[in-house]
Amino acid sequence: MLFTVRPLPRIRRAFARRVGALAFGALLATAMPAQGLDNDKLMEAAAKLGPRAVAEVPPLLQMIGRAAALDEEARVTLVNNYLNQRIAFREDTEVWGVIDYWATPLEALNKGAGDCEDYAIAKYFSLLSAGMPIAKLRMVYVRASLRGQSLAHMVLAYYAQPGADPLILDNLIPDVRPASQRPDLRPVFSFNSEGLWQGTGIVTQGDPVARLSLWRNLLQKARAEGF
Amino acid sequence: MSLMRQVWLLVLGVVLASLIGSVTVSTGSVRQVLQTQLQLKNADNAAALALALSQQGGDAQLMELLISAQFDSGAYQSVLWRQADGKLAFERHAEPRPSEAPAWFIGLMPIVVQPGLAQVSNGWNAIGSVEVRSQSSYAYDELWRSSLRNAALLAVVGLIAGVLALFVLRRIRRPLDSAVKQAQSVVDGSYAMVEVSRVPELRRLTEAMNAMVQRVRGMFEAQSEQLQVLRMQAHADLLTGMSTRKHFLAELDSALTRDEGPAEAGLVLVRLRDLAGLNQRLGRVAVDQVLVTIAHAVKVYPERVNGCLGGRLNGADFALWLPAPDVARETAQALAEALRSSLPAFGSGIQVALGAVDLPRDRPLGAWLGMADTALARAETQPGFTVEAIATRASVDLENQGERAWRVQIVEAIKERRGRLVPYPVLDREGQVLHLECPLQLQLQPQGPYEPAARWLPLAIRSRLTAEVDALAVALALEAIAKDGQARCINIAPGSLLDGGFVARLRELVFQSPPAARRLSLELAEGAAVEHFELLQEMGRQLRPLGVKLGLEHAGAGLAQVERLYQAGLDYVKLDASVVTGISGDAARAAFVRGMLIMLRSLALKVYAEGVADAMDVQAVWDCELDGVTGPWATARRNGPPR
Repeated sequence: MLFTVRPLPRIRRAFARRVGALAFGALLATAMPAQGLDNDKLMEAAAKLGPRAVAEVPPLLQMIGRAAALDEEARVTLVNNYLNQRIAFREDTEVWGVIDYWATPLEALNKGAGDCEDYAIAKYFSLLSAGMPIAKLRMVYVRASLRGQSLAHMVLAYYAQPGADPLILDNLIPDVRPASQRPDLRPVFSFNSEGLWQGTGIVTQGDPVARLSLWRNLLQKARAEGF
Repeated sequence: MSLMRQVWLLVLGVVLASLIGSVTVSTGSVRQVLQTQLQLKNADNAAALALALSQQGGDAQLMELLISAQFDSGAYQSVLWRQADGKLAFERHAEPRPSEAPAWFIGLMPIVVQPGLAQVSNGWNAIGSVEVRSQSSYAYDELWRSSLRNAALLAVVGLIAGVLALFVLRRIRRPLDSAVKQAQSVVDGSYAMVEVSRVPELRRLTEAMNAMVQRVRGMFEAQSEQLQVLRMQAHADLLTGMSTRKHFLAELDSALTRDEGPAEAGLVLVRLRDLAGLNQRLGRVAVDQVLVTIAHAVKVYPERVNGCLGGRLNGADFALWLPAPDVARETAQALAEALRSSLPAFGSGIQVALGAVDLPRDRPLGAWLGMADTALARAETQPGFTVEAIATRASVDLENQGERAWRVQIVEAIKERRGRLVPYPVLDREGQVLHLECPLQLQLQPQGPYEPAARWLPLAIRSRLTAEVDALAVALALEAIAKDGQARCINIAPGSLLDGGFVARLRELVFQSPPAARRLSLELAEGAAVEHFELLQEMGRQLRPLGVKLGLEHAGAGLAQVERLYQAGLDYVKLDASVVTGISGDAARAAFVRGMLIMLRSLALKVYAEGVADAMDVQAVWDCELDGVTGPWATARRNGPPR
């Protein structure tokens, strides 16, 4: 269970949304299919979720297509900014009515809201779809200090090299910054889908293993959505 | 393949398939469970280990210690720590423990488990990943054991199901078998009834079959009743119902000339004296009653004793032939006593004379009648109910030598197979030999003459040697058939049937030469069918499936007494000489023969005539459409008298 605080300022978010919509409208015609992403499946899953999700899919695809063409650092920044704009911070209890819920990218976009791990998850899958190797990404449990308070928080870390100082994709501080410039975060444990994601036949519909942990369950749902 | 075997195989197949199927399914699901558990264990332990390692501040030694501790305290095949650049940092590895499950089983039911993988970090620094692989042999062990348990349990269940199926099949089979047996018995000419099955499908079948058998019985009974009427017309005196003179003499002649029978026999003549005077004094009606009374007294014997003959010779004379030595006088006296007490009731002055003779059976018919007449004439010289008896001592050697010596001679002759078969042909209408009747002659003394059965058979019967004699005859016949392929027939003494092992011995003989067996016939006197019906039937059941034919010889009026002739399972019947002799000149006798023929034909039996001497009679036999004829005429026609 993770608690995050301080949503983005409302005005800034509304502005960002408008700018984003314009940009997507212009680029819609030249949209390229994202790497490793099953577009049909994505549309199908969005159709099941609702009209808002359906509306969110084309811009998302645009963004991913654009990101795939950039170098890795720019790609990370693009995805981070895009999703920080599209998703508003709200507690799981508010959005989903449960204490902790790990939403898939589409679910988060459909609600237009989510908490810290929903940001991290959406960014993680978007980057993977944009051709980022799994080994360079890690979801990190961190202890965040915010105004003298300690909070359990989750961020996505990007490692340009193994052992290098990672870039942190966060929603508390929307800018992408190196970990060394984030004294407010103390990492506790990291994980990714290596060995799970790529493994053949391990995460299948009927596999009880898949439903046992939040992470694996999420991986399965994301795969079903076409990621 | 038989129906039962098919059903049984089907049941077996189903049981086997379900057994294999359920073992496979249960093994598969156990495998799935074990695989999941192993997978979870790998993943969770990897995550826990990575979590612990991430808290060590990057101290490699501490981390290696943690990995070793985890490895040593758990069931792992390997735990390894890979650095972020993919290089191996530390590894603990154990040889995979061999499983108790056989290799083929592991190959068939592989438990494929991915290693557990989790990322390790030191602060922001990603320092690689851990990979945890658990021992899987214990999972194979468990899988193997559970499969064995399942297989054993299901095998027991399958066994129980199989036994139950066997039991049920047997229940179904019993009525089916009996229906098939009945059908077979109908084909074999023995019309047996069976218990009506409780299985609905079979019930209708058995009911239909039983109805058919019932109808055959009805037909048979009707025919034998009709035959009885014909017999009365042909052979019987109208007033007394006893045999006529003609028929009695024919019967007596046949009894005297056949092989088997007692060495000595007795003849009693009964005469109502002064018939003409009685007629005048008492009136015809009363005299007829007297005659009927006498006839009743005489008839008791033939009715009760098999082989005993009775007849009314003419108006006042009655004859009684007794197939036993030294009983004629006693019988005559008993008859006299009986008549003395009953006849006076009809009027005074009724006198009866009785003459009794004991004679060897091989004496001719004329001698018998002459002697008996002499005795009767003597009795007539005295008034009242008088008995006169003449006994002629039997053939000398039989008396002198003593039974013991005879027995030894017969046994020796059998042992050394000093016997020969004398062939008498049975001819069909075209003069073709149907088969040879082969009475056995024994050479009682080495280098001595071969002696006909009439000489030694009575003693053989008394010494209970007939089974041996008959077995020898059958063996000789089979040899002869094997040599020339000519069908032969052997006469079996009724006494042999009583020998418990006889039929089994015949079976054994017949088994040794199956081709010859198909040309072998065995025949028994009509009396055997009356007295030992069950044994005869059993013999047919045992031997006829092997191709041996079974017949009755000397068949006459007694055939009607064989109540279940339709169940006997016979191939042919030979009509006695007493029935067929003289049919050429006697329409009633011919009608009786024809009646018998119709009845026997309805049972699908072949009918032959025995002891036919007269060419006219032969023609009459063909006119009656019998299948064959034997006797002096046939023998002479073929190649003169036998050697």
